[in-house]
Amino acid sequence: MQIQSRKQDDIIIFDIEGEIRRSDITDVTLHQLVKDQLDVGNKKILLNFEKVDFIDSFGVGEILASYISTHNLGGQLKIAKISHKLYLVFQVTMLTKVLDIVDDVETALSSFIEQ
Amino acid sequence: MARNRLFRVLSLVVDIKTGEGQIAALLFLYFFLITTSYGIIKPLRNAFYLQANTAEKLPVAYLLTAVFMGFVVALHSKYQTRFPRKKLIIATLVFFGISVFIFAFLFRTGLPWVALLFFIWANTFIMVLSTQFFIVLNDIFNPREARRLIGFLISGGILGGIIGNLFVGYLGLKLHDDLLFIAFGIIAINIFVVASIFIWKTKHLAEKTAAFSPDRHQNKLSQKVGFKDCFETVRSHSYLRLLAGVVTITLIVSTLIDWQYNTVVEFSIQDTDLYASTFGYFNAIFLFVSFFFQLLITSKIIKRFGIRTSLLVYPVLLFICALLIGILPTVFLIGPLSTLVLAVTIKGADQSLDFSLNQSVRELLYIPVSPELKYKAKVFIDMFLNRFAKSFGALILMLVMIIPFAVPPDQEPFYIWKPRVLTVSIVSLVFILAWIVLNLKVSREYANTVKNKLARRYERADKIVGEKLDVDFMKLVVDTLENKARSSILYAMDVFDLLKQDKLTPEVKKLIGYKQDELRASAFASLLEEPGIGVGPQIEETYDEEFLINEIQEVMSSDVYQQIMSGYMQNVLEGKETSEVTDKMEVARAIGFMDSESPFADALDDLLRDSSPDVSKYAMESAAKLKQREHIPTLVKNLKNPMTRDDAKSALVKYGTRITGTLSDYMGDSNEHIELRKSVIDVLARIGNQEAVDFLLWELKQNMSQLDKDIIDALDLIRSENPGIQFEEPAVKAKLYEKIKIYYSQLIAFSEALTEDTRQKVRLIDMPDHFPKLISDIFKLMGLLYPHEDIVKAEQNILTGTKEATAYAVEMLDNILKKEVKDVIFPLVENLTLHERTMKCRILLASHPAFRVMNGERINS
Repeated sequence: MQIQSRKQDDIIIFDIEGEIRRSDITDVTLHQLVKDQLDVGNKKILLNFEKVDFIDSFGVGEILASYISTHNLGGQLKIAKISHKLYLVFQVTMLTKVLDIVDDVETALSSFIEQ
Repeated sequence: MARNRLFRVLSLVVDIKTGEGQIAALLFLYFFLITTSYGIIKPLRNAFYLQANTAEKLPVAYLLTAVFMGFVVALHSKYQTRFPRKKLIIATLVFFGISVFIFAFLFRTGLPWVALLFFIWANTFIMVLSTQFFIVLNDIFNPREARRLIGFLISGGILGGIIGNLFVGYLGLKLHDDLLFIAFGIIAINIFVVASIFIWKTKHLAEKTAAFSPDRHQNKLSQKVGFKDCFETVRSHSYLRLLAGVVTITLIVSTLIDWQYNTVVEFSIQDTDLYASTFGYFNAIFLFVSFFFQLLITSKIIKRFGIRTSLLVYPVLLFICALLIGILPTVFLIGPLSTLVLAVTIKGADQSLDFSLNQSVRELLYIPVSPELKYKAKVFIDMFLNRFAKSFGALILMLVMIIPFAVPPDQEPFYIWKPRVLTVSIVSLVFILAWIVLNLKVSREYANTVKNKLARRYERADKIVGEKLDVDFMKLVVDTLENKARSSILYAMDVFDLLKQDKLTPEVKKLIGYKQDELRASAFASLLEEPGIGVGPQIEETYDEEFLINEIQEVMSSDVYQQIMSGYMQNVLEGKETSEVTDKMEVARAIGFMDSESPFADALDDLLRDSSPDVSKYAMESAAKLKQREHIPTLVKNLKNPMTRDDAKSALVKYGTRITGTLSDYMGDSNEHIELRKSVIDVLARIGNQEAVDFLLWELKQNMSQLDKDIIDALDLIRSENPGIQFEEPAVKAKLYEKIKIYYSQLIAFSEALTEDTRQKVRLIDMPDHFPKLISDIFKLMGLLYPHEDIVKAEQNILTGTKEATAYAVEMLDNILKKEVKDVIFPLVENLTLHERTMKCRILLASHPAFRVMNGERINS
């Protein structure tokens, strides 16, 4: 898995590529990267799943942990461009009731609320 | 330049902020002019009435005024919804201006009823105009602004009263009813002042309150507004009922004291022509005292002692005075002159405190009430109830008048009135006691009303996730999907788990492409050592799922199955270096279905340490099911590795409360990896029992600052989920003061690095990121000592809210925090410039007892 981060206005975008699985990570996880951004005051986080092929239960846990960390600081975390299959999984497991999942990156960027 | 000068002048007497100078001056002038005109009108009212009647007939005037005020309330409440505030107030001023002009001529006619009509008119005048002034005040200021400024603003009213009464005192004998023309002129000037206030309000307030109180628009039409509507508004809200009760009793007592005062004056001063100037001079002295009290002392009392104590000062003092005037003339037989001095003192105390401290605090009590309720309530309470209370007081006086006290016929009139004065004192004492009780209730309700103005800006995510999601189920579904392609045995075990938990819903079945026969086949395949063997052609969902579970369980508990599985697992474990990851995953998973006495449970430790995180994940799940203590050290070690950390945490949490002691040992071992220790803290937070809290607090006291943040977060999580858990106050307070001291030091360092100009402009939300984090830790620690929900609301509104929301949050903290904590917290949260904040921090660092103890100084108890 590879994760690139970029900033647009005051929103941090994580472009994730590959598979989010426990056996593939290095020392730094997605959650840690999100926490690092929160630590410096960036509270608007967008996860771009366009190039994510696969996600296991570890990956789901990372997304949830990132959501909790962001939300507890009054921030916003959104997910864009997830695959249809992954969306179905999120739907069946009720994750869609908690996570803000958007069709594309541009829509996601414009949907962040000004605080 | 003129504005800066105004600000500088005002800042000598009041704690004024930038941008407030103009409106503060205008409101001061508004109230000043109302009371100056009333200061002329009131002594004339009393003088004219006593000249035409006697003190005995005063209750009649009070009663008629009360009845008339009922009509005024109905009319005012109707018009205040139909017309803009500005038009209503200016029209009212025009009306009173014209009518005072007319009265000036009517008095020259010598008609007997004019004095009574003027009495009623004068009382209506001050009630309506004062109420309108305070309504405007409520429109403009939030509670924190009002606290700072109300002393100054009301002192304008007192000063006006002094000037007006001095006018009458000095010119009363010479000008008499011509003084009413002067009153007319003052009212006319006030029209221009009011217009200026509304111009300022339009310019400055539009965006200020819209976001926080969208219903502050005063032109909102009600379906039906009248006396009954106002009455119902007060009747149906407990807080408003309490306010009404307090006002009623205050005025009943005030009426009784007023009667005592007038009675003593009447029998001490024989020349009736001296009444006007006597009342004028006395009123001026009373007002003089209350002016300086208001300007110099009121705000300090409210700031230092808070709403509750400030509310009690007035009734307690009157209680003492009522006791004295009842006892001294009767028991100690003091003469008429001494009694006059006593009566003047009591009236002075009543008037001074009523116009200053009591009025100020009472107006503060209205501010957190929503506008729709507030303005109806104020009209009803301040106009009608005010007069009703006075007439009720008058009724009591009438009853006292008819009591036939036995007095020797040759005694002077003064001694006829002495027993009546004593009786009225006793009645006053009873009412004052009730008043004190009501004040205590009101102050409690005020704090609740302020709290209710605040809402959480966001809910805790852990709570949202806990309420809306089943995280284990979610992960199991994802694993099932993955395992369907990877291993039919793992898949079967996953589906079996879903079945047992009754979570194999139609949606899940559809998602995983579930076919019942596949499950049976996979289960039986282990018996036959054939992967995925079909039982026959595709079978539709003909089997009952409970039956299927029982069937599989029967298979798995059979001796044959156990034997075959044992052989299989033995092969895998013995060749674990070369075995396929999938095989080891299957074994690790299967152990979780076994009994804890099973010999394979011992093999779990190796699987827990397997290099593949997928294998150790299943091993950890199985360890969590078996809950054997020997696996704990390996599980804890897995906390170091980010690949296995989350699964290790979940497994350890499932062990529950019996491992808190063991976990605390790891947490406290400074030789352990820092990420391991932080993860242990997280596990303790999720276990969340009293023992976990005690261990966490113990660690917090060790001052290992690298763990502080995680421990504070953990304690905050436990507090939010378990309100009944106890937190050792000294330990929490010590850490709280330590964090505050760090904040102060960093703030001072930050401030010193900036220019003077920047220091004046930087706000709380502009500060670098580590400051909000420090403040967040400070609030979390406060949340362990005070009601958690209140502290969370305060934090969220202060850090992310509007100016109004921040003001209410700070006001709430002012009502719930103990003084020792409030003193050190407020410099962090109040609306101050960086410069002001830094100055306060410097002073507190040098002088506050909590920091002096931390600096090693001994504090004498």
